[in-house]
Amino acid sequence: MNRFKRAALWAVLAAIILLTVLSIYGAFIGADRAQAFFTSVPLAVYWLATVALLIVGFVLFRRLLRVPSLLLLHLGCILVVLGMMWGSKGGHALQKRFFGIDTIPMGELWLYENVDENRVFDADANSVRELPFFVRLNDFRIEYYELGQLSIWSRDGRSWRMPAEAGQSLSLGEDLGTVSIRRVFENFRIDIKADEPVAYDEPGGSNPALEVTVEKPGTKPGKRYVFERRPGHANANDPLVLDYHRSIRDYVSELEIVKDGQVVTAKNIEVNHPLYYGGYHIYQNKPGGQDEYGTFTGLLVVSASGLNAVYGGYVLLIGGIVWHFWGRRVLDRLKIQRAAPEGSQ
Amino acid sequence: MEIKYTIQGLLIYATIATYLLAFVATIARRSRTGHALFLCGFVLATIAVIYRWIHVQHVPLQNLFEVFLFLGAACYPISWFSRRVLRIGGQWADMLIGVIVLFPAGFIFNAEPMQLPPALQSPLFAPHVAVYMFSYVFMLKAAFQAGEQLLNKRPRIEQTLIPPEQATYELIAIGFPLLTLGLVLGSWWGKLAWGRSWGWDPKELWSLASWLLYVGYFHWRYMFGTRRPRLNSVWAIAGMAAIIITLLWVNLSRIFAGLHSYAS
Ligand code: HEM
Repeated sequence: MNRFKRAALWAVLAAIILLTVLSIYGAFIGADRAQAFFTSVPLAVYWLATVALLIVGFVLFRRLLRVPSLLLLHLGCILVVLGMMWGSKGGHALQKRFFGIDTIPMGELWLYENVDENRVFDADANSVRELPFFVRLNDFRIEYYELGQLSIWSRDGRSWRMPAEAGQSLSLGEDLGTVSIRRVFENFRIDIKADEPVAYDEPGGSNPALEVTVEKPGTKPGKRYVFERRPGHANANDPLVLDYHRSIRDYVSELEIVKDGQVVTAKNIEVNHPLYYGGYHIYQNKPGGQDEYGTFTGLLVVSASGLNAVYGGYVLLIGGIVWHFWGRRVLDRLKIQRAAPEGSQ
Repeated sequence: MEIKYTIQGLLIYATIATYLLAFVATIARRSRTGHALFLCGFVLATIAVIYRWIHVQHVPLQNLFEVFLFLGAACYPISWFSRRVLRIGGQWADMLIGVIVLFPAGFIFNAEPMQLPPALQSPLFAPHVAVYMFSYVFMLKAAFQAGEQLLNKRPRIEQTLIPPEQATYELIAIGFPLLTLGLVLGSWWGKLAWGRSWGWDPKELWSLASWLLYVGYFHWRYMFGTRRPRLNSVWAIAGMAAIIITLLWVNLSRIFAGLHSYAS
């Protein structure tokens, strides 16, 4: 190995060790500061130097060009680094300056039902910017797991949990008795009939609740209602505190994209299922809800700049690495196996 | 420390006991019995994973309890593959690895079932975690071989198998594509769930550091070949140390606030 090759390899090792140390440092400072650090100007110099080193590697080591797996995996690294840089905030600033491409790197979009909106809040720049299209929210809903949970605490600090299903019972010991779930309400309502309060489930709305009885030997069973929306609603003299909780399964926003007054595309977006339009991905990222102005949803809008390069780089990287370490080995084994019977004849 | 008086707990304890017996039999040179017991332990561990799967109604890879249970089952097939296909020893160590990973699942981690939060409901969730876990077992085996190389101690029954330095390389060569796949799948999933393919979150940064240590290992070994075997082994052990931190410390410690906190 000549002097240049050796020096290049030492430089590769130094670059790898430096990035390892910086990653560990980044892990200690929290994600926000780490992001600012790894996308700062000195680090941009580092990323470009590594890409340059890889290119020098292709020139010095012919093997990197001749062996397809090595070529793919090293090219993959170059694409990932460049794609990430192109899609970063700094990359967006450069795109605007040198190519006139003005895209919003990332911004929050808070949408109310049936209102067309194109203004997004760019938290980093602390400014409001406009998308080249409008987004309309037709509906937002939170979906829950069907089966909730009833948590029970005694005043002396003991706690229990049980599935919130009608017919379930749990014994808490002789002093506290047995807790049983009698009914599960999706939309709890109560009426007075013949001077008696009558609880019922009214279809359509949402006020989840449980009807629970606590039975102690020798006493009359006490009936009570536990509401999901009013946790901790308990009598201070009651020996038990009950809490009904259902876990969120998904947030769903029914969106339409409106351009020049026309609906150009529509999608029900959920966590893990964004909508893509006009160079932007729109994510169900923040939960929505209801306030005095109506139903709203919290979305994240992210420009797709550089993403194809990153994904392309991933494909090359994985393809190259899998072929280099697995494919070639499997092929060698097959060759040996094929050669063996011939040799033995 | 807490004993789990449940069917799940019983299955884990039975597996631990069987793996321990397999280990004792193997070091007492009863390798056939050892292997048979190891296989029985694997069957028990697989039943424990399936039982959990049915119980929680999703692929059981959500939290540390489930991940360690999965690791406890993964060590047998990887051990078998290493022995039969790669001609790499260390079965006794694999049995111990099984005990070591199942111990916290049995006695430390909380086994309370949890419903999947929205972000984890992705077809990428199971492959991302599973490939990582398989790669971790390969890398752990590699670190054991590197340790044998550093200590220059090798069980006599393994003299016919490939030597530790080379075994370390072979194991890392099998585990590294899985490690890379885990990283890439995680990045892809992060893009779909959170809108960014890389969030500079502590867990991501530790996983990048682990991956880079193995990249460094390959380049170092390309430069020096087997002329500095001890340093080759040091790289392999450093990689494993970073993996352990990625897997455990980041989840258990509160100093690294980040996005990957479901697993805690
Ligand atoms: C930072 C990203 C990089 C990654 C992920 C990477 C990855 C790899 C991998 C996996 C191998 C195969 C090792 C083996 O077969 O044992 C390899 C080999 C090699 N890499 Fe890199 N590498 C990187 C950067 C570089 C750079 C910057 C250079 C430029 C000098 C370089 C030069 C080489 C050489 C010369 C080999 C040996 C090829 C051979 O096996 O004959 N690498 N690299």
